[in-house]
Amino acid sequence: MDAKKAHMFADLFVTFIIAGIVTWYLIDAYTASSHIINLILVLPISLMVLALCIVEIIKQIKNKEEPTEKPEPVMTVIPVICLFTLYIASLAWLGFDVGTSLFIAAFLWLHGERRIIWILGYAIAFGFLVALFFSAMLPYQMPMLILPG
Amino acid sequence: MLDFIALQAGFDLLFADASTWLIVIPGILIGLLFGAVPGLQISMAMAIFLPMTLYMDFMQAMLFLTAIFTGGSFGGGIPAILMNIPGTSSSIATAFDGYPMARKGQHNLALGIALGASTLSVIFGYFILLFLVKPISELVLKMGPAEMSIIVIWGITLIASLSGQHVIKGMIAGFFGLLLGTVGYGEAGVTRGTLGISYLLDGVPAIPAMMGMFAASELFRLVNTKYLVDDSAARKVSISKIFSGFKSVVRYPWVMLRGSLIGVLVGAVPGVGSSIANLLSYIQTKRNDPDPDSFGKGNPTGVMASEAANSSSEAGSMATLLALGIPGGGATAVMLAAFSMHNITGGPQFIREQTDIVYAIIFANFGQAFLLIILGLMFIPVLANVVKVPMHFLIPSVLALATFGSFGLTGNLSGPITVLIFALIGWVFKRYNFSVAAAVIGILLGSMAEESLIYSYQISGGQWSYLLERPFAILMLVMLMFSLFGGHLVTLLTSKVKTNV
Repeated sequence: MDAKKAHMFADLFVTFIIAGIVTWYLIDAYTASSHIINLILVLPISLMVLALCIVEIIKQIKNKEEPTEKPEPVMTVIPVICLFTLYIASLAWLGFDVGTSLFIAAFLWLHGERRIIWILGYAIAFGFLVALFFSAMLPYQMPMLILPG
Repeated sequence: MLDFIALQAGFDLLFADASTWLIVIPGILIGLLFGAVPGLQISMAMAIFLPMTLYMDFMQAMLFLTAIFTGGSFGGGIPAILMNIPGTSSSIATAFDGYPMARKGQHNLALGIALGASTLSVIFGYFILLFLVKPISELVLKMGPAEMSIIVIWGITLIASLSGQHVIKGMIAGFFGLLLGTVGYGEAGVTRGTLGISYLLDGVPAIPAMMGMFAASELFRLVNTKYLVDDSAARKVSISKIFSGFKSVVRYPWVMLRGSLIGVLVGAVPGVGSSIANLLSYIQTKRNDPDPDSFGKGNPTGVMASEAANSSSEAGSMATLLALGIPGGGATAVMLAAFSMHNITGGPQFIREQTDIVYAIIFANFGQAFLLIILGLMFIPVLANVVKVPMHFLIPSVLALATFGSFGLTGNLSGPITVLIFALIGWVFKRYNFSVAAAVIGILLGSMAEESLIYSYQISGGQWSYLLERPFAILMLVMLMFSLFGGHLVTLLTSKVKTNV
């Protein structure tokens, strides 16, 4: 499959996903309560989105034009998304101080930075200083491993 | 229109004691900092520093809080330009052209324009307020829930119309956002779309969602970029260029006047005002520009239009607060708290009996605008150095800042999780040309649109004829229809005329 077709299928897939989520949400809202107060916005807007999705799908199928912009390769973005997901998922255990420092150090290493002093120095300084600043500014307890929360 | 005796008394209040002004400079700096750091909000800054105002008299407290507001209104534009992260929802349109300008190496110019437009429009805005505080507040009283619902839908269709050849996708994104904004506990007393997750009972956290969709998703797209600005020569921070950007705003008086007027009038509408005003001003400027296709690609007047409207919307929201005692958003809600801490109640009686204080607040903002020019010109060159930071340092740092900020907004890990989920949605949306801005506006205004519709339904008893009794609503509907189909209608009519000729 060439790149243009792959992009077109992915585009169609995204439109289908949006339509699917909207349909699910409409059913969920209707199941919760069919009273007009509950559906006054959800029903007309959902129907409008679904109608627009149908128009968009037809438009995409008929479209013969090449995509104007070349998007960034997916394989270079996936590792960053995975790393960011790991960072968010680990915050409860590693805390903002250590979690952030590790995330930044891992990101720098992944993107070709090999100067250990720079990696450790920047990651630790940034992670701890920002964690300290936010913990001082915010009125809530922040998850921390070393610094006071 | 002007009460000259009260005017004199207002001057006396402000200048009788120079120490009154001492708290303005820290106020502006706090506002700049909180506006410029992604995730920190102006309302958060005002809430944190609100207890300090207990030790000030009412005038000082107002000066301090409005200084934070003024500094923050401009500060929100800085990350919008440099990192594509609107500091507040009222800076969304600033990112449309500000960020492309930064990527082209015109960050100095863009920041200068933002500062010039912000400060001048604060002066314009409060100048309009000086004469029109009462008429504006009467206008706001005419805005019922029906008008509010139309404004929200209008805002979304307007922003979708910016999507060029992808208008349908823009509308899908906007209405999809609107639905996401209604997730959680609804007015009918039932929960919808929460998937059993307790964090979602209060709805999707809107600001973390905005940070994810705008900032994190953009950073994902930039992973293969070495620097924010490719050309090394263009990365220089130049105070002269910042100043030339600052000066350039006077060459576009109509853009500034239109933006300021839109800002004051639309900004006075509680809740939606500042979020919609910058978009409306941007769209009007784009429509009237001889080269509308250059918008979204780094047109300086786009930055000007947005900043003019968002900064003057502060004056609009102050009109509603002073004349009606209704806060238009988080920041004015904190100010209302300061009012009550000093045993003062805003409203018609307040502007009738304490006109001198109203004038003093207005004049104080003129002074604050001049101070903002000085502090902004000192502050911007420091921040503009962001373009010199290699992307592999900048990306994780901004992602981490967004994570901290989102935690600050929600007080638990639902904020960072929201950033992550909406970063993914935003990345997919951008990749396939669904408007991220429309989706964000939808999320921000979803629950308000639903509440307004419910109130309209309850007031009207389900009768459509209710709309006919509301001339404002009809006018807005006509404008909504015109903004949707006006362009096509004009093209159709002109082509028919040409055929007949």
